[in-house]
Amino acid sequence: MKALIIDDERLARKELVKLLEEHPSIEIAGEAMNADEAEKMIEELNPELLFLDIQMPGRTGFQLLESLDSAPLVVFTTAYDEFALKAFEVNALDYLLKPITAERLTEAVHKILDKERSKSGRSRDKKLGLEDQVFVKDGERCWFVSLANIRLFESDGNYIKVYFDTNRPMIHKSLNALDEKLDERSFFRASRKHIINLSWVEGIEPWFNGGLMVKLKGGDKVEVSRRQAAKFKDMMSL
Amino acid sequence: MVNKSRLYWTLQIGGWTAFCAVQLIASVVASVGGAIAVTRVVFLVFEALFCFLLTHLYRNYINERKWLSMSLAKLIPHVFAAVVLMSVVIYLARIPVYYSLGLFVAENAFDPEKMITGVLFYALIFFIWSVLHFIYNYFERYNKSLKLEASVKEIELNNLKSQLNPHFIFNALNSIRALVDENPAKSKEAINQLSSILRNSLVTEKRGLTSFDEELKLVKDYLGLESIRFEERLRTEFNVDPESRDFLVPPLMIQTLVENGIKHGISKLTEGGLVQISTKVDGDHLKIHVRNSGKFVINGHHKKETGGLGLENTRQRLKLIYGDDASFRILSESDNFVLTEIIIPHLYT
Repeated sequence: MKALIIDDERLARKELVKLLEEHPSIEIAGEAMNADEAEKMIEELNPELLFLDIQMPGRTGFQLLESLDSAPLVVFTTAYDEFALKAFEVNALDYLLKPITAERLTEAVHKILDKERSKSGRSRDKKLGLEDQVFVKDGERCWFVSLANIRLFESDGNYIKVYFDTNRPMIHKSLNALDEKLDERSFFRASRKHIINLSWVEGIEPWFNGGLMVKLKGGDKVEVSRRQAAKFKDMMSL
Repeated sequence: MVNKSRLYWTLQIGGWTAFCAVQLIASVVASVGGAIAVTRVVFLVFEALFCFLLTHLYRNYINERKWLSMSLAKLIPHVFAAVVLMSVVIYLARIPVYYSLGLFVAENAFDPEKMITGVLFYALIFFIWSVLHFIYNYFERYNKSLKLEASVKEIELNNLKSQLNPHFIFNALNSIRALVDENPAKSKEAINQLSSILRNSLVTEKRGLTSFDEELKLVKDYLGLESIRFEERLRTEFNVDPESRDFLVPPLMIQTLVENGIKHGISKLTEGGLVQISTKVDGDHLKIHVRNSGKFVINGHHKKETGGLGLENTRQRLKLIYGDDASFRILSESDNFVLTEIIIPHLYT
Protein backbone atom coordinates (compact mmCIF):
# COMPACT_ATOMS: atom_id res chain seq x y z
CA MET A 1 0.00 0.00 0.00
CA LYS A 2 1.48 3.31 -1.07
CA ALA A 3 1.72 5.91 1.65
CA LEU A 4 2.84 9.52 1.84
CA ILE A 5 4.18 11.14 5.02
CA ILE A 6 3.37 14.81 5.39
CA ASP A 7 4.99 16.70 8.26
CA ASP A 8 6.98 19.91 8.41
CA GLU A 9 9.48 18.54 10.93
CA ARG A 10 12.31 16.41 9.58
CA LEU A 11 12.75 14.53 12.84
CA ALA A 12 9.07 13.74 13.08
CA ARG A 13 9.11 12.31 9.53
CA LYS A 14 12.26 10.36 10.28
CA GLU A 15 10.74 8.86 13.40
CA LEU A 16 7.62 7.76 11.58
CA VAL A 17 9.64 6.23 8.73
CA LYS A 18 11.60 4.28 11.30
CA LEU A 19 8.46 3.07 13.05
CA LEU A 20 6.94 2.03 9.72
CA GLU A 21 9.93 -0.21 8.95
CA GLU A 22 8.08 -2.81 11.01
CA HIS A 23 5.16 -2.70 8.61
CA PRO A 24 6.26 -3.89 5.18
CA SER A 25 2.70 -3.73 3.90
CA ILE A 26 3.03 0.06 4.00
CA GLU A 27 5.32 1.33 1.31
CA ILE A 28 6.48 4.89 1.84
CA ALA A 29 6.25 6.50 -1.56
CA GLY A 30 7.40 9.92 -0.44
CA GLU A 31 7.73 12.57 2.24
CA ALA A 32 6.38 16.09 1.99
CA MET A 33 7.24 19.12 4.15
CA ASN A 34 4.11 21.12 3.58
CA ALA A 35 0.70 21.07 1.97
CA ASP A 36 1.83 22.49 -1.37
CA GLU A 37 4.55 19.90 -1.74
CA ALA A 38 2.12 17.19 -0.63
CA GLU A 39 -0.51 18.22 -3.16
CA LYS A 40 1.98 17.82 -6.02
CA MET A 41 3.16 14.46 -4.71
CA ILE A 42 -0.40 13.18 -4.30
CA GLU A 43 -1.08 14.12 -7.91
CA GLU A 44 2.10 12.36 -9.06
CA LEU A 45 2.26 9.32 -6.84
CA ASN A 46 -1.43 8.73 -6.24
CA PRO A 47 -0.90 7.31 -2.71
CA GLU A 48 -3.63 5.30 -1.04
CA LEU A 49 -2.72 6.46 2.44
CA LEU A 50 -1.58 9.72 4.03
CA PHE A 51 0.13 10.19 7.38
CA LEU A 52 -0.79 13.81 7.86
CA ASP A 53 0.31 16.41 10.38
CA ILE A 54 -2.28 19.09 11.05
CA GLN A 55 -0.26 22.17 12.02
CA MET A 56 2.10 23.05 9.20
CA PRO A 57 3.39 26.31 7.76
CA GLY A 58 1.22 27.53 4.92
CA ARG A 59 -1.89 25.41 4.69
CA THR A 60 -2.91 23.06 7.50
CA GLY A 61 -3.52 19.36 7.02
CA PHE A 62 -7.26 19.99 7.02
CA GLN A 63 -6.95 22.62 4.31
CA LEU A 64 -4.90 20.23 2.20
CA LEU A 65 -7.62 17.58 2.44
CA GLU A 66 -10.31 20.07 1.58
CA SER A 67 -8.51 20.94 -1.63
CA LEU A 68 -8.33 17.32 -2.77
CA ASP A 69 -11.11 16.01 -5.01
CA SER A 70 -11.16 12.70 -3.25
CA ALA A 71 -9.46 11.91 -0.01
CA PRO A 72 -7.20 8.88 0.28
CA LEU A 73 -7.19 7.03 3.59
CA VAL A 74 -5.80 9.38 6.19
CA VAL A 75 -4.14 8.92 9.57
CA PHE A 76 -3.64 12.23 11.31
CA THR A 77 -0.51 12.71 13.37
CA THR A 78 -0.48 15.46 15.93
CA ALA A 79 1.25 16.30 19.19
CA TYR A 80 -1.57 17.92 21.06
CA ASP A 81 -4.16 20.09 19.54
CA GLU A 82 -7.34 20.62 21.48
CA PHE A 83 -9.40 21.69 18.50
CA ALA A 84 -8.22 18.90 16.26
CA LEU A 85 -8.69 16.31 19.00
CA LYS A 86 -12.24 17.49 19.46
CA ALA A 87 -12.92 17.09 15.76
CA PHE A 88 -11.47 13.57 15.88
CA GLU A 89 -13.44 12.51 18.90
CA VAL A 90 -16.70 13.68 17.41
CA ASN A 91 -16.16 11.95 14.12
CA ALA A 92 -13.93 9.05 15.04
CA LEU A 93 -11.29 9.76 12.43
CA ASP A 94 -8.09 7.86 12.97
CA TYR A 95 -5.24 9.73 14.54
CA LEU A 96 -1.87 9.09 16.16
CA LEU A 97 -0.57 11.20 19.00
CA LYS A 98 3.11 12.14 18.94
CA PRO A 99 5.32 10.68 20.22
CA ILE A 100 3.84 7.72 18.39
CA THR A 101 4.09 4.36 20.09
CA ALA A 102 4.75 1.20 18.10
CA GLU A 103 1.62 -0.51 19.49
CA ARG A 104 -0.68 2.33 18.55
CA LEU A 105 0.83 2.48 15.07
CA THR A 106 0.30 -1.26 14.58
CA GLU A 107 -3.33 -0.82 15.57
CA ALA A 108 -3.79 2.01 13.09
CA VAL A 109 -2.10 0.06 10.29
CA HIS A 110 -4.37 -2.93 10.89
CA LYS A 111 -7.42 -0.73 10.79
CA ILE A 112 -6.28 0.77 7.52
CA LEU A 113 -5.54 -2.56 5.90
CA ASP A 114 -9.02 -3.78 6.89
CA LYS A 115 -10.57 -0.70 5.38
CA GLU A 116 -8.55 -1.10 2.20
CA ARG A 117 -9.58 -4.74 1.83
CA SER A 118 -13.26 -3.88 2.12
CA LYS A 119 -12.78 -1.33 -0.60
CA SER A 120 -11.16 -3.68 -3.07
CA GLY A 121 -13.76 -2.80 -5.69
CA ARG A 122 -12.57 0.76 -5.73
CA SER A 123 -12.29 2.02 -9.27
CA ARG A 124 -8.84 2.88 -10.44
CA ASP A 125 -9.88 5.46 -13.02
CA LYS A 126 -9.86 9.12 -12.16
CA LYS A 127 -13.63 9.49 -11.83
CA LEU A 128 -15.08 9.45 -8.33
CA GLY A 129 -17.39 6.53 -7.71
CA LEU A 130 -19.49 5.41 -4.78
CA GLU A 131 -16.48 3.70 -3.19
CA ASP A 132 -14.48 6.90 -2.92
CA GLN A 133 -14.51 9.21 0.05
CA VAL A 134 -14.29 12.96 0.35
CA PHE A 135 -13.13 15.09 3.24
CA VAL A 136 -15.58 17.70 4.43
CA LYS A 137 -15.01 20.26 7.14
CA ASP A 138 -17.57 22.57 8.62
CA GLY A 139 -16.23 24.80 11.37
CA GLU A 140 -14.81 22.53 14.01
CA ARG A 141 -16.46 19.38 12.70
CA CYS A 142 -14.98 17.28 9.97
CA TRP A 143 -15.92 14.08 8.21
CA PHE A 144 -14.65 11.56 5.74
CA VAL A 145 -17.79 10.78 3.81
CA SER A 146 -18.16 7.90 1.44
CA LEU A 147 -19.75 9.17 -1.77
CA ALA A 148 -22.27 6.32 -1.44
CA ASN A 149 -23.74 8.14 1.56
CA ILE A 150 -24.09 11.50 -0.14
CA ARG A 151 -27.56 11.80 -1.66
CA LEU A 152 -27.39 15.32 -2.97
CA PHE A 153 -25.03 18.15 -3.89
CA GLU A 154 -26.64 21.56 -4.01
CA SER A 155 -24.86 24.64 -5.28
CA ASP A 156 -25.10 27.71 -3.07
CA GLY A 157 -23.11 30.67 -4.33
CA ASN A 158 -19.45 29.71 -4.45
CA TYR A 159 -20.13 26.74 -2.23
CA ILE A 160 -21.70 23.34 -2.49
CA LYS A 161 -23.98 22.02 0.20
CA VAL A 162 -23.31 18.34 0.78
CA TYR A 163 -26.31 16.33 1.98
CA PHE A 164 -25.55 13.19 4.00
CA ASP A 165 -27.18 11.73 7.11
CA THR A 166 -28.53 14.77 8.91
CA ASN A 167 -25.58 16.97 7.98
CA ARG A 168 -25.32 19.62 5.32
CA PRO A 169 -21.81 21.04 5.50
CA MET A 170 -20.51 23.31 2.74
CA ILE A 171 -17.46 22.80 0.59
CA HIS A 172 -15.78 25.55 -1.37
CA LYS A 173 -16.07 24.26 -4.95
CA SER A 174 -18.12 24.87 -8.02
CA LEU A 175 -20.81 22.40 -9.00
CA ASN A 176 -19.50 22.28 -12.59
CA ALA A 177 -16.01 21.29 -11.46
CA LEU A 178 -17.45 18.63 -9.18
CA ASP A 179 -19.73 17.32 -11.92
CA GLU A 180 -16.72 16.66 -14.16
CA LYS A 181 -15.05 14.61 -11.44
CA LEU A 182 -18.01 12.45 -10.51
CA ASP A 183 -18.71 9.12 -12.16
CA GLU A 184 -21.77 9.68 -14.37
CA ARG A 185 -23.00 6.15 -13.77
CA SER A 186 -23.62 6.99 -10.12
CA PHE A 187 -24.29 10.74 -10.11
CA PHE A 188 -26.59 12.78 -12.25
CA ARG A 189 -26.66 16.52 -12.90
CA ALA A 190 -30.34 17.16 -12.35
CA SER A 191 -30.22 20.90 -12.95
CA ARG A 192 -28.00 23.95 -12.76
CA LYS A 193 -28.26 23.73 -8.97
CA HIS A 194 -28.28 20.01 -8.18
CA ILE A 195 -26.37 16.76 -8.56
CA ILE A 196 -28.13 13.69 -7.22
CA ASN A 197 -26.90 10.26 -6.25
CA LEU A 198 -28.82 7.81 -8.46
CA SER A 199 -28.75 5.05 -5.87
CA TRP A 200 -30.80 7.28 -3.56
CA VAL A 201 -33.64 7.85 -6.02
CA GLU A 202 -36.94 6.57 -4.64
CA GLY A 203 -39.60 7.97 -6.96
CA ILE A 204 -40.04 10.07 -10.09
CA GLU A 205 -43.06 12.24 -10.99
CA PRO A 206 -43.75 14.31 -14.06
CA TRP A 207 -43.47 18.02 -13.38
CA PHE A 208 -44.24 21.30 -15.14
CA ASN A 209 -42.79 22.18 -18.54
CA GLY A 210 -41.70 18.64 -19.26
CA GLY A 211 -39.44 18.47 -16.23
CA LEU A 212 -39.41 15.80 -13.56
CA MET A 213 -39.60 15.80 -9.77
CA VAL A 214 -37.28 13.24 -8.21
CA LYS A 215 -37.92 12.05 -4.70
CA LEU A 216 -34.89 10.83 -2.78
CA LYS A 217 -34.84 8.37 0.08
CA GLY A 218 -35.06 10.46 3.23
CA GLY A 219 -37.60 12.85 1.72
CA ASP A 220 -35.58 15.44 -0.21
CA LYS A 221 -37.21 16.44 -3.51
CA VAL A 222 -35.19 17.67 -6.47
CA GLU A 223 -36.46 19.10 -9.70
CA VAL A 224 -34.90 17.80 -12.93
CA SER A 225 -34.85 20.48 -15.59
CA ARG A 226 -36.55 19.87 -18.91
CA ARG A 227 -33.21 19.76 -20.70
CA GLN A 228 -31.93 16.99 -18.44
CA ALA A 229 -35.21 15.07 -18.12
CA ALA A 230 -34.84 13.11 -21.36
CA LYS A 231 -31.32 12.10 -20.45
CA PHE A 232 -32.49 11.11 -17.00
CA LYS A 233 -35.30 8.92 -18.37
CA ASP A 234 -32.80 7.22 -20.67
CA MET A 235 -30.51 6.42 -17.81
CA MET A 236 -33.15 5.15 -15.46
CA SER A 237 -34.95 3.00 -18.05
CA LEU A 238 -31.75 1.22 -19.09
CA MET B 1 -17.06 32.91 64.51
CA VAL B 2 -16.41 30.71 67.54
CA ASN B 3 -13.28 32.67 68.31
CA LYS B 4 -15.08 35.93 67.88
CA SER B 5 -17.85 34.99 70.29
CA ARG B 6 -15.37 33.67 72.84
CA LEU B 7 -13.41 36.89 72.56
CA TYR B 8 -16.57 38.89 73.19
CA TRP B 9 -17.48 36.96 76.35
CA THR B 10 -13.93 37.17 77.67
CA LEU B 11 -13.84 40.91 77.14
CA GLN B 12 -17.37 41.47 78.39
CA ILE B 13 -16.93 39.46 81.60
CA GLY B 14 -13.33 40.52 82.13
CA GLY B 15 -14.11 44.17 81.39
CA TRP B 16 -16.99 44.50 83.79
CA THR B 17 -15.17 42.52 86.48
CA ALA B 18 -12.30 44.93 86.12
CA PHE B 19 -14.74 47.84 86.27
CA CYS B 20 -16.13 46.42 89.50
CA ALA B 21 -12.65 45.88 90.91
CA VAL B 22 -11.55 49.43 90.07
CA GLN B 23 -14.67 50.84 91.72
CA LEU B 24 -13.97 48.76 94.82
CA ILE B 25 -10.38 49.91 95.01
CA ALA B 26 -11.46 53.51 94.49
CA SER B 27 -13.97 53.13 97.33
CA VAL B 28 -11.34 51.65 99.61
CA VAL B 29 -8.90 54.41 98.80
CA ALA B 30 -11.56 57.08 99.32
CA SER B 31 -12.86 55.59 102.55
CA VAL B 32 -11.70 56.56 105.97
CA GLY B 33 -9.10 54.10 107.28
CA GLY B 34 -9.46 51.71 104.34
CA ALA B 35 -12.62 49.97 105.54
CA ILE B 36 -15.79 49.90 103.53
CA ALA B 37 -19.24 48.65 104.30
CA VAL B 38 -20.45 45.30 103.00
CA THR B 39 -23.50 47.03 101.55
CA ARG B 40 -21.20 49.18 99.41
CA VAL B 41 -19.50 46.02 98.03
CA VAL B 42 -22.88 44.43 97.27
CA PHE B 43 -23.99 47.59 95.53
CA LEU B 44 -20.88 47.74 93.34
CA VAL B 45 -21.28 44.08 92.33
CA PHE B 46 -24.91 44.75 91.41
CA GLU B 47 -23.93 47.83 89.49
CA ALA B 48 -21.35 45.90 87.41
CA LEU B 49 -23.90 43.15 86.81
CA PHE B 50 -26.46 45.67 85.56
CA CYS B 51 -23.92 47.21 83.24
CA PHE B 52 -22.95 43.77 81.98
CA LEU B 53 -26.56 42.86 81.16
CA LEU B 54 -27.38 46.21 79.66
CA THR B 55 -24.39 46.27 77.32
CA HIS B 56 -25.10 42.71 76.29
CA LEU B 57 -28.65 43.67 75.32
CA TYR B 58 -27.21 46.74 73.62
CA ARG B 59 -24.86 44.53 71.59
CA ASN B 60 -27.69 42.25 70.52
CA TYR B 61 -29.67 45.28 69.48
CA ILE B 62 -26.70 46.63 67.47
CA ASN B 63 -26.30 43.34 65.67
CA GLU B 64 -29.99 42.94 65.02
CA ARG B 65 -30.40 46.43 63.62
CA LYS B 66 -27.14 46.13 61.67
CA TRP B 67 -25.67 49.34 63.07
CA LEU B 68 -22.31 48.30 61.68
CA SER B 69 -23.45 48.96 58.16
CA MET B 70 -24.72 52.45 59.03
CA SER B 71 -22.89 55.48 57.77
CA LEU B 72 -20.90 57.28 60.45
CA ALA B 73 -23.16 60.35 60.25
CA LYS B 74 -26.13 58.19 61.10
CA LEU B 75 -24.34 55.97 63.58
CA ILE B 76 -23.03 58.71 65.91
CA PRO B 77 -26.46 60.11 66.95
CA HIS B 78 -27.76 56.56 67.35
CA VAL B 79 -24.88 55.69 69.65
CA PHE B 80 -25.35 58.89 71.66
CA ALA B 81 -29.03 58.22 72.12
CA ALA B 82 -28.41 54.65 73.19
CA VAL B 83 -25.65 55.64 75.59
CA VAL B 84 -27.83 58.31 77.27
CA LEU B 85 -30.81 55.98 77.44
CA MET B 86 -28.78 53.21 79.04
CA SER B 87 -27.27 55.64 81.55
CA VAL B 88 -30.69 56.88 82.63
CA VAL B 89 -31.94 53.29 82.87
CA ILE B 90 -29.07 52.24 85.09
CA TYR B 91 -29.34 55.38 87.19
CA LEU B 92 -32.98 54.56 87.86
CA ALA B 93 -32.32 50.83 88.28
CA ARG B 94 -29.87 51.44 91.09
CA ILE B 95 -32.50 53.21 93.18
CA PRO B 96 -34.31 50.01 94.27
CA VAL B 97 -30.92 48.44 95.01
CA TYR B 98 -29.94 51.40 97.15
CA TYR B 99 -33.29 51.25 98.78
CA SER B 100 -33.20 47.58 99.67
CA LEU B 101 -29.67 47.97 100.99
CA GLY B 102 -30.86 50.82 103.16
CA LEU B 103 -28.56 53.30 101.47
CA PHE B 104 -31.28 55.28 99.78
CA VAL B 105 -31.33 59.00 100.51
CA ALA B 106 -34.07 60.78 98.57
CA GLU B 107 -32.40 64.25 98.54
CA ASN B 108 -29.23 62.76 97.09
CA ALA B 109 -30.95 60.54 94.51
CA PHE B 110 -33.11 63.30 93.04
CA ASP B 111 -30.69 66.20 93.41
CA PRO B 112 -30.39 67.46 89.77
CA GLU B 113 -26.67 68.07 90.04
CA LYS B 114 -25.98 64.59 91.43
CA MET B 115 -28.32 63.05 88.89
CA ILE B 116 -26.44 64.67 86.00
CA THR B 117 -23.00 63.65 87.25
CA GLY B 118 -24.30 60.11 87.92
CA VAL B 119 -25.82 59.74 84.49
CA LEU B 120 -22.75 61.32 82.85
CA PHE B 121 -20.48 58.89 84.64
CA TYR B 122 -22.41 55.92 83.23
CA ALA B 123 -22.65 57.62 79.83
CA LEU B 124 -18.87 57.92 79.73
CA ILE B 125 -18.47 54.24 80.59
CA PHE B 126 -21.01 53.14 77.94
CA PHE B 127 -19.50 55.48 75.41
CA ILE B 128 -16.09 53.90 75.92
CA TRP B 129 -17.72 50.49 75.56
CA SER B 130 -19.34 51.57 72.27
CA VAL B 131 -16.14 53.03 70.89
CA LEU B 132 -14.22 49.83 71.67
CA HIS B 133 -16.99 47.71 70.21
CA PHE B 134 -17.22 49.62 66.94
CA ILE B 135 -13.49 50.05 66.51
CA TYR B 136 -12.96 46.33 66.93
CA ASN B 137 -15.69 45.43 64.47
CA TYR B 138 -14.67 47.97 61.89
CA PHE B 139 -11.11 46.81 62.08
CA GLU B 140 -12.09 43.22 61.71
CA ARG B 141 -14.33 43.90 58.79
CA TYR B 142 -11.58 45.90 57.07
CA ASN B 143 -9.19 43.02 57.65
CA LYS B 144 -11.63 40.58 56.19
CA SER B 145 -12.18 42.64 53.08
CA LEU B 146 -8.43 43.00 52.66
CA LYS B 147 -8.00 39.26 52.93
CA LEU B 148 -10.80 38.71 50.48
CA GLU B 149 -9.28 41.13 48.03
CA ALA B 150 -5.93 39.44 48.37
CA SER B 151 -7.37 35.99 47.78
CA VAL B 152 -9.37 37.15 44.78
CA LYS B 153 -6.21 38.65 43.36
CA GLU B 154 -4.29 35.47 43.99
CA ILE B 155 -6.91 33.33 42.30
CA GLU B 156 -6.92 35.66 39.32
CA LEU B 157 -3.15 35.54 39.12
CA ASN B 158 -3.11 31.76 39.30
CA ASN B 159 -5.56 31.57 36.47
CA LEU B 160 -3.50 33.93 34.39
CA LYS B 161 -0.16 32.35 35.11
CA SER B 162 1.25 30.97 31.95
CA GLN B 163 1.44 27.28 31.80
CA LEU B 164 3.60 25.32 29.48
CA ASN B 165 1.80 24.50 26.31
CA PRO B 166 1.22 20.73 26.06
CA HIS B 167 1.60 20.95 22.30
CA PHE B 168 5.17 22.08 22.85
CA ILE B 169 5.96 19.35 25.38
CA PHE B 170 4.73 16.51 23.18
CA ASN B 171 6.38 17.86 20.07
CA ALA B 172 9.63 18.20 21.97
CA LEU B 173 9.37 14.62 23.22
CA ASN B 174 8.70 13.44 19.69
CA SER B 175 11.77 15.23 18.31
CA ILE B 176 13.90 13.90 21.13
CA ARG B 177 12.74 10.39 20.39
CA ALA B 178 13.93 10.68 16.80
CA LEU B 179 17.12 12.35 17.96
CA VAL B 180 18.05 9.39 20.18
CA ASP B 181 19.11 7.40 17.10
CA GLU B 182 20.57 10.29 15.18
CA ASN B 183 22.53 12.15 17.81
CA PRO B 184 22.53 10.55 21.27
CA ALA B 185 24.61 13.32 22.86
CA LYS B 186 22.27 16.02 21.62
CA SER B 187 19.24 14.05 22.72
CA LYS B 188 20.65 13.83 26.25
CA GLU B 189 21.12 17.57 26.30
CA ALA B 190 17.58 18.02 25.05
CA ILE B 191 16.23 15.87 27.86
CA ASN B 192 18.09 18.06 30.34
CA GLN B 193 16.63 21.18 28.80
CA LEU B 194 13.14 19.77 28.88
CA SER B 195 13.40 18.62 32.48
CA SER B 196 14.79 22.00 33.49
CA ILE B 197 11.82 23.72 31.87
CA LEU B 198 9.34 21.34 33.46
CA ARG B 199 10.93 21.78 36.87
CA ASN B 200 10.90 25.53 36.52
CA SER B 201 7.29 25.63 35.50
CA LEU B 202 6.34 23.50 38.50
CA VAL B 203 8.33 25.61 40.96
CA THR B 204 7.23 28.95 39.58
CA GLU B 205 3.59 28.08 40.07
CA LYS B 206 4.22 28.74 43.72
CA ARG B 207 6.20 31.91 43.20
CA GLY B 208 4.99 35.34 42.27
CA LEU B 209 8.15 36.60 40.63
CA THR B 210 11.40 35.11 39.47
CA SER B 211 14.83 36.56 38.77
CA PHE B 212 15.50 37.76 35.25
CA ASP B 213 18.45 35.40 34.89
CA GLU B 214 16.33 32.39 35.70
CA GLU B 215 13.69 33.40 33.22
CA LEU B 216 16.37 33.98 30.59
CA LYS B 217 17.80 30.52 31.16
CA LEU B 218 14.34 29.05 30.79
CA VAL B 219 13.83 30.94 27.54
CA LYS B 220 17.18 29.67 26.25
CA ASP B 221 16.28 26.08 27.16
CA TYR B 222 12.95 26.53 25.50
CA LEU B 223 14.49 27.88 22.32
CA GLY B 224 17.07 25.09 22.40
CA LEU B 225 14.27 22.54 22.27
CA GLU B 226 12.33 24.37 19.60
CA SER B 227 15.53 24.51 17.52
CA ILE B 228 15.66 20.74 17.57
CA ARG B 229 12.15 20.68 16.23
CA PHE B 230 12.44 23.45 13.67
CA GLU B 231 16.13 22.92 12.86
CA GLU B 232 17.45 25.53 10.42
CA ARG B 233 14.02 27.13 10.22
CA LEU B 234 14.51 28.77 13.63
CA ARG B 235 17.30 31.28 14.21
CA THR B 236 17.70 33.01 17.55
CA GLU B 237 19.46 36.16 18.72
CA PHE B 238 20.01 37.56 22.21
CA ASN B 239 20.91 41.10 23.06
CA VAL B 240 20.67 41.39 26.83
CA ASP B 241 21.55 44.44 28.93
CA PRO B 242 23.72 43.12 31.82
CA GLU B 243 21.82 45.31 34.29
CA SER B 244 18.67 43.30 33.56
CA ARG B 245 19.75 40.74 36.12
CA ASP B 246 18.76 43.11 38.94
CA PHE B 247 15.14 42.80 37.94
CA LEU B 248 12.44 40.37 38.96
CA VAL B 249 10.01 39.25 36.29
CA PRO B 250 6.77 37.28 36.34
CA PRO B 251 7.76 33.67 35.70
CA LEU B 252 7.23 32.27 32.22
CA MET B 253 6.18 35.67 30.91
CA ILE B 254 9.04 36.16 28.45
CA GLN B 255 8.76 32.50 27.55
CA THR B 256 5.08 33.01 26.71
CA LEU B 257 5.94 35.87 24.39
CA VAL B 258 8.68 33.87 22.68
CA GLU B 259 6.39 30.87 22.34
CA ASN B 260 3.72 33.12 20.90
CA GLY B 261 6.23 34.39 18.35
CA ILE B 262 7.13 30.86 17.33
CA LYS B 263 3.57 29.62 17.25
CA HIS B 264 2.17 32.48 15.19
CA GLY B 265 5.35 33.53 13.40
CA ILE B 266 8.03 30.95 12.72
CA SER B 267 5.82 27.85 12.57
CA LYS B 268 3.63 29.51 9.93
CA LEU B 269 6.57 30.31 7.67
CA THR B 270 7.76 27.62 5.29
CA GLU B 271 11.22 29.16 5.28
CA GLY B 272 11.23 29.78 9.04
CA GLY B 273 12.64 32.97 10.55
CA LEU B 274 14.28 34.79 13.41
CA VAL B 275 13.39 35.22 17.08
CA GLN B 276 15.28 38.03 18.78
CA ILE B 277 15.21 38.87 22.47
CA SER B 278 16.67 42.17 23.61
CA THR B 279 16.46 43.99 26.92
CA LYS B 280 17.36 47.49 28.02
CA VAL B 281 17.42 48.96 31.51
CA ASP B 282 16.21 52.54 31.55
CA GLY B 283 16.46 53.99 35.05
CA ASP B 284 13.97 52.09 37.18
CA HIS B 285 12.41 50.22 34.30
CA LEU B 286 13.28 47.14 32.33
CA LYS B 287 12.29 47.11 28.68
CA ILE B 288 11.98 43.67 27.09
CA HIS B 289 11.64 43.32 23.33
CA VAL B 290 10.73 40.06 21.62
CA ARG B 291 10.89 40.25 17.83
CA ASN B 292 9.85 37.48 15.51
CA SER B 293 9.49 36.97 11.79
CA GLY B 294 5.90 36.85 10.71
CA LYS B 295 2.87 38.97 10.17
CA PHE B 296 0.76 40.43 12.94
CA VAL B 297 -2.89 39.67 12.44
CA ILE B 298 -5.18 41.87 14.48
CA ASN B 299 -8.22 39.85 15.43
CA GLY B 300 -8.09 37.84 12.25
CA HIS B 301 -10.99 35.59 11.53
CA HIS B 302 -9.26 32.75 13.34
CA LYS B 303 -9.44 34.53 16.64
CA LYS B 304 -8.79 31.43 18.67
CA GLU B 305 -5.69 30.65 16.71
CA THR B 306 -4.10 34.09 16.84
CA GLY B 307 -3.55 33.62 20.53
CA GLY B 308 -5.51 36.64 21.66
CA LEU B 309 -5.96 34.78 24.93
CA GLY B 310 -2.27 34.37 25.74
CA LEU B 311 -1.58 38.03 25.12
CA GLU B 312 -4.65 39.16 27.02
CA ASN B 313 -3.50 37.03 29.96
CA THR B 314 -0.09 38.66 29.88
CA ARG B 315 -1.67 42.10 29.85
CA GLN B 316 -3.91 41.30 32.84
CA ARG B 317 -1.11 39.65 34.74
CA LEU B 318 1.06 42.74 34.40
CA LYS B 319 -1.83 44.89 35.55
CA LEU B 320 -2.44 42.75 38.62
CA ILE B 321 1.20 42.68 39.63
CA TYR B 322 2.31 46.20 38.77
CA GLY B 323 -0.89 48.22 38.39
CA ASP B 324 -0.28 51.00 35.88
CA ASP B 325 3.50 50.89 36.28
CA ALA B 326 4.00 48.24 33.60
CA SER B 327 3.14 48.40 29.94
CA PHE B 328 2.60 45.88 27.21
CA ARG B 329 2.16 46.20 23.49
CA ILE B 330 2.42 44.17 20.33
CA LEU B 331 2.81 45.71 16.94
CA SER B 332 3.84 45.11 13.39
CA GLU B 333 7.33 46.56 13.19
CA SER B 334 7.74 46.07 9.48
CA ASP B 335 6.14 43.96 6.79
CA ASN B 336 7.67 40.80 8.13
CA PHE B 337 8.55 41.48 11.75
CA VAL B 338 6.34 41.51 14.82
CA LEU B 339 7.51 43.27 17.96
CA THR B 340 6.22 42.49 21.43
CA GLU B 341 7.31 44.89 24.15
CA ILE B 342 6.88 44.80 27.89
CA ILE B 343 8.18 47.40 30.28
CA ILE B 344 8.22 46.54 33.96
CA PRO B 345 9.30 48.59 36.98
CA HIS B 346 11.94 47.57 39.49
CA LEU B 347 10.36 46.00 42.53
CA TYR B 348 12.45 46.50 45.65
CA THR B 349 12.09 43.56 47.91
